[in-house]
Amino acid sequence: MTDLVTVLPELILSGTAVVLILVARRVRRARSAAPWVVVAAVAAAFSLWAFSPATSMTGFGGTIASDRYARFFSLLFSGNLALAALLSVRHLDSERVQPAEYFALLLLASTGMMFAVAAVDLLILYLGLELMTLCSYVLVGIVRDKPAGNEASIKYFFLGSFASALLLYGIALTYGVTGATDFSAIASTVSRNGVTRHPMLLAGVGLVSGGLAFKIAAVPFHAWAPDVYQGAMAPVAAFLSAGSKAAGLAAFVRVCLVAFAPEQRIWSVMVVALAALSVMTGSLLAISQSRMKRMLAYSSIAHAGYALLGLVPGTPEGASATMTYAFVYAFMTLGAFGVVIALGPRGENLNGYRGLSTTAPGTAAVMFLFLLSLTGIPPTAGFTAKFAVILSAVRAGYIGLAVLAVLCSVVSAFFYLRVAVLMYMTEPQESESARLPLSVFAALAIAAAVTIVGGIFPNTLAVWAVPP
Amino acid sequence: MTTFPILTVITFLPLLAGAAIFLCGARVARWLALAGSLATLAVSVPLYLHFDKTSTGLQFVESVPWIPSWNVEYTMGIDGISLPFIFLSTVVSVLCVGASWTAVQVRVREFYAALLLAETAMIGLFAATTVFLFYVFWELMIVPMFLLIGVWGGPRRIHAAIKFLLFTLAGSVLMLVGLITLLRTSGTLDFEALATMRPSAQLQSWLFVAFTAAFAVKVPMFPVHTWLPDAHTEAPTAGSVILAGILLKMGGYGLLRIALPILPDAVRLFRTPMLALSALAIVYGAYVTLAQTDVKRLIAYSSISHMGFVTLGIFTLNRNGVEGAILQMVNHGIVTGALFLCVGMIYERTHTREIVAYGGVAKLAPVYSTFLALFCLAAAGLPGLNSFVGEFLIISGAFDTRPWYGVMAVWGVALGTTYILWLYYRVALGEVKPGLQALRLELDLREVATLAPMAALALTIGLYPESVLSFLRVSVEQLLVASAAQVGVAGGM
Repeated sequence: MTDLVTVLPELILSGTAVVLILVARRVRRARSAAPWVVVAAVAAAFSLWAFSPATSMTGFGGTIASDRYARFFSLLFSGNLALAALLSVRHLDSERVQPAEYFALLLLASTGMMFAVAAVDLLILYLGLELMTLCSYVLVGIVRDKPAGNEASIKYFFLGSFASALLLYGIALTYGVTGATDFSAIASTVSRNGVTRHPMLLAGVGLVSGGLAFKIAAVPFHAWAPDVYQGAMAPVAAFLSAGSKAAGLAAFVRVCLVAFAPEQRIWSVMVVALAALSVMTGSLLAISQSRMKRMLAYSSIAHAGYALLGLVPGTPEGASATMTYAFVYAFMTLGAFGVVIALGPRGENLNGYRGLSTTAPGTAAVMFLFLLSLTGIPPTAGFTAKFAVILSAVRAGYIGLAVLAVLCSVVSAFFYLRVAVLMYMTEPQESESARLPLSVFAALAIAAAVTIVGGIFPNTLAVWAVPP
Repeated sequence: MTTFPILTVITFLPLLAGAAIFLCGARVARWLALAGSLATLAVSVPLYLHFDKTSTGLQFVESVPWIPSWNVEYTMGIDGISLPFIFLSTVVSVLCVGASWTAVQVRVREFYAALLLAETAMIGLFAATTVFLFYVFWELMIVPMFLLIGVWGGPRRIHAAIKFLLFTLAGSVLMLVGLITLLRTSGTLDFEALATMRPSAQLQSWLFVAFTAAFAVKVPMFPVHTWLPDAHTEAPTAGSVILAGILLKMGGYGLLRIALPILPDAVRLFRTPMLALSALAIVYGAYVTLAQTDVKRLIAYSSISHMGFVTLGIFTLNRNGVEGAILQMVNHGIVTGALFLCVGMIYERTHTREIVAYGGVAKLAPVYSTFLALFCLAAAGLPGLNSFVGEFLIISGAFDTRPWYGVMAVWGVALGTTYILWLYYRVALGEVKPGLQALRLELDLREVATLAPMAALALTIGLYPESVLSFLRVSVEQLLVASAAQVGVAGGM
């Protein structure tokens, strides 16, 4: 029984998914299914809070952990799932997507994410991530009659399979050297046998990191992100940019800090390279984008880099900074995508934001808030999160990297606030303003609340972010 | 007064008023903004009454734990250096509300909300006593200014707003790295605690570069001043007044608050280049001002010259120079702010900023021209008016240490008299330009009420400079003793 308690939220989500699939024929409108998904997400979050053991424990033969680290991220995934469900309602009906199947996939992908962050064994980690990505492939191409979505799905599938192969190969090599897949066993074997610089193990570390870097869209494993975000339905892109990135980061942090702890000097250098490349590439390439989702895709690449800065020193404080960053980023990006969704077809193009502050002042104001947060201007959560990760980089002695990161955030200010310029400083092209559905309004309100509270009281979040 | 968090109230009262504006209609927005800014001014009165001019420490201190994991507290407090700036911020904000009464007709609610948000950021910045809070308000200031310039500005407002944003952000992110490095090496970000520590000379130099990058953009110092003419020219009147009145002072205040006490060795190391850049800004700024044909642009370039005096005074590192620099910042805020108000008032009627379109305004609008004459003479440094005192102190401070920079400054004063009086001559005197005859150029009561406080301040400080200097004296002494003791220079400057 205690084993089952450790996976209670996962059980709730996958159970809801199964029920939705069973009653799929009866569910015709998204509006009738979405509340159930939200309820499931809230129930999962509640079970995390109420039924989780007070101390860290592992279940299923020591492969799945129920610790505060996993709980932090599971809470994030519950929030991500609930917001994504709220944001999906209108799109599903207008794109004629089967709501039951769609929501079941969302639920299963979230289950996969939760398994990935709870895993303390490379194989469970792999299974969790695969469950997440397999569902994502389908979600990206779920609008069957849209060529862009199909193309994105195929691209995502091929590149994703390649990344999964890297990850699996890395796991195999690690197992070959250490004879273990359990995180702590790997670390103890490496130190005990003195194989810290074993070439096979180094290759294993590199391959596992590469496979995980794909999930968080860090350069040079980022090529899928712009096409997938562009081709997928906006709610799916929002779900992936927040959830997939957080799951990848969570797995990255745990694998590096626990399993590959003896190899800290090796992966630290790799993380520095990934972070520097991601921040630069993401910021620079986002400048020339004229489509909103594509711009947000490049921005997500840059933010993957910022989040990785926290991992550079390999300390618990740094890991905590990365966790906070992942959390904050999830809500800012969900908010920004939420505005894209709220505006409908008009929101896909940058020009659609012209004069938004006169036609829809409230929507424009929250978008401005999310853009400020993405840029990292106080008093938003984006600033405090960025402050924490840059502090980690400076603590590790990488002041040059910190300077690069902040300079790139000036570059990013240019393209984020260009949207603000369009919204506030130009005349609207069309005057009709779409009515904001209640579900989207609720999602935007939650995201905005997190962005503001996290900025003014950063400690509330930092207390929860307990590293592995 | 120890229990009542007066500084927090003064800081966030405008923000509350700004939020309240959104709940009410556009018709009430102006009155709410006026009430909010006046209430802030009223609440700040006890600061001046209960301020202890003999105390060296911070006063009205408030401290609440905020972010324990970074050892950052929410602390506020003021000394003699910050008090004049808080006064200036509250006064200028009220006048900005008055000056925008009829000039702003679109998105009135948003305008006043942005204005009040700016007031919160300004007051908060001057009341902050940790580098972290200082930075938060510093960055917060960018947002409303960006909107004020970009939404309610002139024809090239978007260009000006983006230029302002990128320049200031580029400077301030370097400050962010600087403050993070400071936090890592010192473990604290409190001004008073940092002043007692002393990072290694090399680290100080890097920190100085990082912080001064931010401050120099805001002042603005010579090579990074190019955003200012655009921003000043395109901003609406209230935006220009806030820019000239407060925003530029944030840079000088930062130098006094962070560079001088915390990085004394680096200040000594970089003293000569900073003095040279200041002198260059004074003379170069003045020459460029002479060539301007647009009234607002002319005043904008004159700001560069006047702010050169401020940095010159700060880096003389003696009492006259630093006191003069602070006084010059206050004076520049009053005089240049008032000049922008004057320009804004006449622009509302004529819709042109070209100097050639004006002439003979004195005949049509005697009251207006009297005010303009007063502020032009103040800007020119006429004895008896406020700017004279500040410039005199700075120049005497410069002659005490580096006479040649004093000579440059005197040259700047001479040029300043030329361009400002020539401006007055072209606008107010001579033949009445045909286009102006039909317009009602004379001020109405509201506009007189907006300009009169500035005129009163200019006269008061000019005739009785002790009204400001008495607040500064002890704090400046403390600042100089602390930084001089650390760099190992004996007192007698």
